[in-house]
Amino acid sequence: MSAFIECIGVGKTYMAKQGAVEALRGINVRCDEGEFVCLLGLSGCGKSTLLQMIAGLELPTTGQIIVAGRELDGPSPATSIVFQDHGLFPWMNVLSNVAFNLKARGVAKADRVARAEEMLSLTGLSAFASRFPHELSGGMRQRVGIARALTTRPRALLMDEPFGALDAQTRGHLQTELLQIWSRQRTTVLFVTHSIDEAVFLADRILVFTPRPGQLAAEVVVDLPRPRVPGTPGFAEIAAGLRQALGSEGGSE
Amino acid sequence: MNRRYLGILPLLALLATWQAAVSAELYPPVLLPSPLKVANAFVLYAPTIAANAGASVLRVIIGVGLAFITAVPAGLLIGRYQLLDEITDWSIQVFRSIPPIALIPLAMLFFGIGDTPAIVLIYVSALWPLLLNTIFGVRGIERTLLKVAASARASESLVLRDIILPAALPSIFTGLRLAIGGGWLTVVTAEMIAVKSGLGYMILNAQMTFRTELIFAGIIVIGIIGLLGDQSIRRLRKRACRWQEGLTVSEG
Repeated sequence: MSAFIECIGVGKTYMAKQGAVEALRGINVRCDEGEFVCLLGLSGCGKSTLLQMIAGLELPTTGQIIVAGRELDGPSPATSIVFQDHGLFPWMNVLSNVAFNLKARGVAKADRVARAEEMLSLTGLSAFASRFPHELSGGMRQRVGIARALTTRPRALLMDEPFGALDAQTRGHLQTELLQIWSRQRTTVLFVTHSIDEAVFLADRILVFTPRPGQLAAEVVVDLPRPRVPGTPGFAEIAAGLRQALGSEGGSE
Repeated sequence: MNRRYLGILPLLALLATWQAAVSAELYPPVLLPSPLKVANAFVLYAPTIAANAGASVLRVIIGVGLAFITAVPAGLLIGRYQLLDEITDWSIQVFRSIPPIALIPLAMLFFGIGDTPAIVLIYVSALWPLLLNTIFGVRGIERTLLKVAASARASESLVLRDIILPAALPSIFTGLRLAIGGGWLTVVTAEMIAVKSGLGYMILNAQMTFRTELIFAGIIVIGIIGLLGDQSIRRLRKRACRWQEGLTVSEG
């Protein structure tokens, strides 16, 4: 059986003023349906670039990316992306923001509102449907971003450091909520982070990237039972291994 | 004290200076009428002033309105599509550098004397600030929002209507304020040369008939209408862009 998401020999080179910059080289990644995979690496290692390419927002320079059995030539309807800076439309209230992806698909208004309300209740936001993004806290905005991504029933959720800008406490809450959503919706999650603890807490499998050019350095399977507790021996052991794989500069946190 | 009306203070100081200058007989009264005499002129010439002010305002509304419905869609497209931007950039830079007043002789040759040349000139003066600010507004859009639209596979028309237009709206309002200001300056000038009605014409006519108090009254009306126009656009902007609160430093 072929993987749900598959990257074969993917490389990305940007043209910059100083000349060509190689962001990623020779990436081979497979991700099965229902898996929770973290892409871990320091800033500048190309992990976000890879996610954007899997989301169909950028094209690889070399290699190919296959999602749901089709080689990508643009965003796939089977995936949804969540951004670090949430990407909410400031002029739309929460409900309209969440319903936007369905509006883009031409879903009738009554249907998309119903689906949006369902996702708002899943993410605990029902009371805030008529609020505007600037009236919400950072954590709530990111919940809205997740709710919006879920409306289209994606088979894979692509998350680009979604909790990177949040305080530790809010981040912890959202990580737990995300795991609940993941286990209930049974979607695949591809999650970019630079935090070792976050990766160990969330993932089934962690792909470690090293920079210049971005390459896949290691692959770590996390077989600890959930909920995982940072600081316990098993957790610490995996975290230490990851720290070493990331290289001399070490991971944050 | 309510800070909202603090802006009246310099105007009151100006009024006091004016009265002092009159009392000191700095100029002969026929050149510099007293504030009271000007106030009287408002009563005496009320119908004339109202009719001419109405004519000027109507021209500005038509000229700026026409500029709005052409410049905003054009600006949205130019801001959205790099190719259009490259094609139009030089032309915009060339034409926006020409003061509309420099076009008065041409406008009179082509359109004679009357409403048409005035409206054409207002249109030209309002077009560029609206166009440039709309383009600027589209350019300033957050990149992530366009990525959200792309990953949702939104159609171009949905992107333009639901994302580009609202994102550019605050900037479009800035353009509208500048356009109305510019249009108002242009209408008064144009009326002194190319039209036989309006506040500009009224002032020039008052000069020729040596009614300086009417010149002063006309100038005051021009200022007040300018202020009201600006205030109403600000208010409109506040209502239309309520979502902006808390995102940017308020422009008041």
